[in-house]
Amino acid sequence: MSMADLAPSVPAQTARSGGLARLAVAATVALLFAGGGFLLHAEQQGQVIALLAAFVAVFALAEKVPVGRRIVGLCRAHPGTVNLTAAVSILAIAAALREEHYTLLMMATVALFATAAAGLTLQMAFAGVPNFAGAAFFAVGAYVAALLGNTGIPHLLVLLIAGLAAAVLGLVLLLPVLRTRGHYAALVTIAFGLLLRAFLEVNDVLGGPQGMKVKSFSLFGLDFSRMTEIGPYDVSFYLPYALASCALFGLAFFLVRRLETSFVGVALDAVRSDEVAASVFGLSIARWKATAFLLGNAMIGVAGALYGMMNGFVNPNSANFGDSLIMLSILVLGGLGNLWGAVVAAVVILVIPEKLQAIQEFRLVIFALLVIAILRFRPSGLMPRAARDFSALVKGGAK
Amino acid sequence: MATDQMLARRKLLNVAGAALAALSLATAPALARDTVKIAFIGPLTGGNSATGLGGRNSASLAVDLHNAKPDAKYTYELVPFDDECKPNVGVQVATKAASDKSIIAGITHYCSAVAIATVDTYNRFGLPVVVWGAVLPEITYGNDYKEIHRVNGTMINEGKMAAEFLTKQGFKTFVVIHDTTDYGKGQNKYFAENLKPQGGEILATFPVPPDQQDFTAELTKVKELKPDVVFIGGLTPLGVRVRSQMDRLGIPAQLAGVSGIMSAGFIEGAGPAAEGTVSFHNGAPLTKYADGKAFMDAYAKAGYREDPDAYGPFAFSAANLIMDAIEKAGPDRKKVRDILNTTKGYKALVGEINFDDHRQNIVSANVYVSQDGKWVYWPDSAYATGTKKLPGKAASN
Repeated sequence: MSMADLAPSVPAQTARSGGLARLAVAATVALLFAGGGFLLHAEQQGQVIALLAAFVAVFALAEKVPVGRRIVGLCRAHPGTVNLTAAVSILAIAAALREEHYTLLMMATVALFATAAAGLTLQMAFAGVPNFAGAAFFAVGAYVAALLGNTGIPHLLVLLIAGLAAAVLGLVLLLPVLRTRGHYAALVTIAFGLLLRAFLEVNDVLGGPQGMKVKSFSLFGLDFSRMTEIGPYDVSFYLPYALASCALFGLAFFLVRRLETSFVGVALDAVRSDEVAASVFGLSIARWKATAFLLGNAMIGVAGALYGMMNGFVNPNSANFGDSLIMLSILVLGGLGNLWGAVVAAVVILVIPEKLQAIQEFRLVIFALLVIAILRFRPSGLMPRAARDFSALVKGGAK
Repeated sequence: MATDQMLARRKLLNVAGAALAALSLATAPALARDTVKIAFIGPLTGGNSATGLGGRNSASLAVDLHNAKPDAKYTYELVPFDDECKPNVGVQVATKAASDKSIIAGITHYCSAVAIATVDTYNRFGLPVVVWGAVLPEITYGNDYKEIHRVNGTMINEGKMAAEFLTKQGFKTFVVIHDTTDYGKGQNKYFAENLKPQGGEILATFPVPPDQQDFTAELTKVKELKPDVVFIGGLTPLGVRVRSQMDRLGIPAQLAGVSGIMSAGFIEGAGPAAEGTVSFHNGAPLTKYADGKAFMDAYAKAGYREDPDAYGPFAFSAANLIMDAIEKAGPDRKKVRDILNTTKGYKALVGEINFDDHRQNIVSANVYVSQDGKWVYWPDSAYATGTKKLPGKAASN
């Protein structure tokens, strides 16, 4: 941050130190991703524990040591470098682990849940509309994929339709959600989730309680589930899914970030923090809440459709309340409003319980303790959203 | 704690075994035993963990007993996974187990929803598995995957036995109350299908949500219809509610139910009204199996915290079936699969195992009756010998 503030006064020096700063940022991000990749792949208990300890140490360093704080500041000041490095790192990890079915499946799962969390971010962290039915909209996407997968409609279009369907179904909820606030709005969404699940269970056209098979995703005639080699390399059929999921998350990330930094984000923040003040300034509360809610559900629906196609089936149980809470905990654990936080939290919530399989029936206890410990030491999430920084605007105005 | 120690001990044993193997390799290669891994997948946490842990303990007991045999060709290692009874978690652990090349076969799944979701995964990776607890017929009959086998029976067996037994007892008219999950729906389907050829008649069918509390509306209708039997397709809570509310409304009909109501909870919940309720289950009581007593003794000696539960003997048998196939074929998934495919007349704890053309074990269900606060194997009960009369019959006479 300090670099950015100094920038205008000493232009000659900036070019060099800017380059250096970028290098430092890129190295940090690449290191973190490398650690994440190892964590995804590590099987030995010792390795997993060492990696977790390393991550805890990194977080402590970033908070307590001046150099750490400075690097965090630099990362915030150079989002472009961070994102580019992240994309390159993901490709590198995918290339390195191209034959590892299980690791790639977990990678895709994390990316898709992070995409759903991006939708929830829009709703809950920006507009302040609670949504306790995330898994229900996720399942809606998967059901649309199940219904349309065989019809010959291009699957990219199916993903879009799944998003649309989730948004349209969200319309049903719009009126009660807009008329209620806080806990009451939360109850409305919980009721919707239960209702949808009961509906799916008794509906024989949609497979009843047993659910439906979903056709695998294919892009331009390329069936993802049959892909076993790219050029001279043998690859897992989960590789294309992992890449597509990461691309989907990239898209969601880009969209949410653009909204956040645009006037839409400012309007949503205003609506969330003080409805009365926002409406006094001429913002339509209903309009902004509806925008965030529908757009968020659409994103969750798209992610759900790809998840359904990857897993090959969907059943009403996937719309259960527990899974909605898992999505919410990803959001809260990561830090409301920070998408990178959501990625880290998705790894914690989805991957760590799997890494603890060796301790069998005790693993969920250990996992719960871990989550409580995280929230004890970082009450606002692993990576809380940074406050909006308008200092540049103020400076520009003074000039 | 106990399992922790046991695991630690087993690890130590493995290390010791490996060291021994290495030693013996140096001196006498003939004695060297390779380690072969087998996966166990079931619900180790959550609402179904009692059954899952019982299955895991039984499978691990089978492995330990096999390893202790002096003439075994390989040392086996059980790798347990938790599917949480959730289909998506099930696919994840199935992928993990199946893509691990050192795992040769799997003893998989108690929850039907998980088992049906994972069959594609096993087929794709070519991992031969033996289902130890899930009862949904489609798991074996809904596909033609050579990798999927099942040692326990399906709902079809229970429905068939229920229809045959009840009509043989002279009951003619039936009312079915089933829950709307795939379990209740399936039980209803196979009971109704098998009842028709036996000459029974279903007067009415009431699908109800599994958590419905009050059955006054349904039971008032039942009272008008005067059926001989009220048949329950659901789990214990549903059975308890219907049983006690039947009494309140004064319905004299015989109550019969699928294996879902056959639990200690049903007798506790329904109290004295439970007397004479008939149920059907794929497993026979452990004491009826030739090696049942030996199994129970070995299980007690191993010091597991949890009971083997209803499906433990099936997990035990599945583990033995797999290990014997590996002994014959060596640690090769394809060869093991082919041997499992052709299993006929295999002597196991749960009786003879014969796979049909869908690799489904051919079993017939057993009848149980609730007598003096216990579930009693029908042939051993006072009702079969005639000293007691089923409540439904006493009413019609």
